[in-house]
Amino acid sequence: MDRRIKSHPILEFEGEETVTFYFEGTPLRAKPSDTIASALIANGIDIFGWTEKGRARGFFCAIGKCSSCLVVVNGTPNIRACITKVKEGMKVERQIGRGMPLWEEKQ
Amino acid sequence: MKTKLLIVGGGPAGLSGAIAAAESGVDVLVVDEGLELGGQLVKQTHKFFGHQGFFASKRGVEIAKILKNRIEELGVKYMLQTTLVGFYEDTAVAYSREEDKTYEIDYDYVLLATGASEKFLVFKNNMLPGVYGAGAVQTLMNQYGVLPGEDFLIIGAGNIGLIVAYQIAQAGGNVRAIVEISDKVGGYEVHANKIRRMGIPILLRHTIIKAIGKDRVKGAVIAKVDENFKVIEGTEREIVADTICLAVGLQPSIELASQLGVEMVYIPELGGHVPKRDENMRTSKRNIFVAGDLSGIEEATSAMAEGYIAGYTIAQDITGKDLSEKINKYKEELADLRRGPFGKKVRSGLEKMGIVLPSGGYRTDLQKDFGPAGKLRAVMECHQNIPCNPCEAVCPTNAINMGGNINGIPHINYDKCVGCMMCVMKCPGLAIFMVQEFDEYSVVGIPYEFEPLPNVGDKVILMDRNGEDVGEGVIQRVIKNRKDKTHVVYVAMEKGLERTVRHFRVPSDEEDEIVCRCEEVTKRDVEKAIDMGFTDFEELRRYLRIGMGPCGGRTCRLITMGILARKTGKSMEEISNMNLRPPSIPISFGSILRGEKE
Repeated sequence: MDRRIKSHPILEFEGEETVTFYFEGTPLRAKPSDTIASALIANGIDIFGWTEKGRARGFFCAIGKCSSCLVVVNGTPNIRACITKVKEGMKVERQIGRGMPLWEEKQ
Repeated sequence: MKTKLLIVGGGPAGLSGAIAAAESGVDVLVVDEGLELGGQLVKQTHKFFGHQGFFASKRGVEIAKILKNRIEELGVKYMLQTTLVGFYEDTAVAYSREEDKTYEIDYDYVLLATGASEKFLVFKNNMLPGVYGAGAVQTLMNQYGVLPGEDFLIIGAGNIGLIVAYQIAQAGGNVRAIVEISDKVGGYEVHANKIRRMGIPILLRHTIIKAIGKDRVKGAVIAKVDENFKVIEGTEREIVADTICLAVGLQPSIELASQLGVEMVYIPELGGHVPKRDENMRTSKRNIFVAGDLSGIEEATSAMAEGYIAGYTIAQDITGKDLSEKINKYKEELADLRRGPFGKKVRSGLEKMGIVLPSGGYRTDLQKDFGPAGKLRAVMECHQNIPCNPCEAVCPTNAINMGGNINGIPHINYDKCVGCMMCVMKCPGLAIFMVQEFDEYSVVGIPYEFEPLPNVGDKVILMDRNGEDVGEGVIQRVIKNRKDKTHVVYVAMEKGLERTVRHFRVPSDEEDEIVCRCEEVTKRDVEKAIDMGFTDFEELRRYLRIGMGPCGGRTCRLITMGILARKTGKSMEEISNMNLRPPSIPISFGSILRGEKE
């Protein structure tokens, strides 16, 4: 699924999908300007995680205020997908509940 | 880290405050959570209302660039992707996401311009992915170029709901409806009119009851409400939509103001709990200022004016220079922005803080005159007292005037109007049209901001102010506006329609009514052929290939005869049936070659 806007009467969207990141192990393409949220939604992924009660959770405010879009990034939970840029090789997972704390020192 | 002035929030209010203070020689540091400066301006693709000298008719994205450039020119320091997480007794602490570390910031003054967040709404299944804030959808589509669905339902007909609906259409999405619980549109009429003439229904006195779907939105149930906003049983109906946008208001982001211990007041007209402040945006604490949506939900133009007032006042405190002239200029600007009927809510909210602003003093009567028939002229459909005057400012012959105040209803002097259409291209509300009557037909020039632009000679379906089809027209001229992107498309139409037609659409393949499935012949094709003089089935068949496909006419024969009968006024018996020849189903030549005669 590609939800990128192809042509727009007012705006020009620059950049190519040159970044590869991994969502639940699957490689996906993104633009360098993408956040994790915009890259996931462009790829047709709306479910960013599951609540403790098992509800599907997506994003809501897109500007870092509501904390609904929390995902696990390279093992670290509670990362706001909507205001975190996607990066080459980044490993993104759906967060379940509040996420597991990282006890180990990060390498 | 040390700074004289710490500004939290790099949106229109914060950046304006930074510009004002830095211009006056104050050392400023701006801290913002986002990926770029500009706050919510970076997703605003519509042209702003307001005073021509103060960014009116510019799109928010352009204003963001202007402010950013000025910040760079002035050498203002800023930290992005950095959240001010706490104000402690002796210092402020900011957290940088990129570096994953905190910074202590010592300051003398603080300007809080933390903005607002979108309100949530309670209904069944409201947490399903696909239920998004309208502003969130706007961010996704206008900042990142991603449309999160195909069919959208908007909840709330305030300016945000109306603007986002229009922008979804511009981005290529379908807006199924805007649902509004009250009995009137809360936003500007000109924004609502842009939606209505596209044929998007605005359902007043309706609400959403539930989102349909298991793991993501597949639809919604909406229903009518009574005068007490109670759902009227039996009026529930389903709408197919994959995205539900909540545009039910904003709430000020007050967390940091509360931490700083400034006096807070609850004023519903300003969006709920807000910091108490004076006319200069100073809170109960001498060195703490606020500006923008945090100080009361309004819009970006007033946020900028508040930012300037706060920035200059702080600079005045720090430098001891007299900046009252600049401060007063922006106070006057603000007073004018709030003078009209849409400023009433903010005025009464501010009055509760002891800030009294003037109202009235502008022209309210509408121009009745449609202008002299036959002359190419502008027609203004701007019927509300909105603080906005780009049409007056841009008119090269001074034909348009607001009657002395920016909130006035624009009137046009038809002796002076030369039909240049500059006002049509400038109007932020897309509420000005060009009209000219000829002997045989009329022409309407329509402001148009959609892709693709039609071509001269294209046949289009004409639409009235409510989006109803009212006939067919032909594109006569397309005036491209490369700079502002509001193009003017002239459509020729039957005389008399110039008073009703305000939009058009290009008939799409999706709307085709097929008569012959094999050859994809439409009802329109058949009717056109009959109009051209083909009045016999066999003639139609040779011209259109109708009935010559693999089904041999099984699907189209009766329907085509019916259209023929209706168009020619003949009865079915009078119309010659098509000649039915073998083979009655398609068979291969091979089967014939292998065939046995006996």
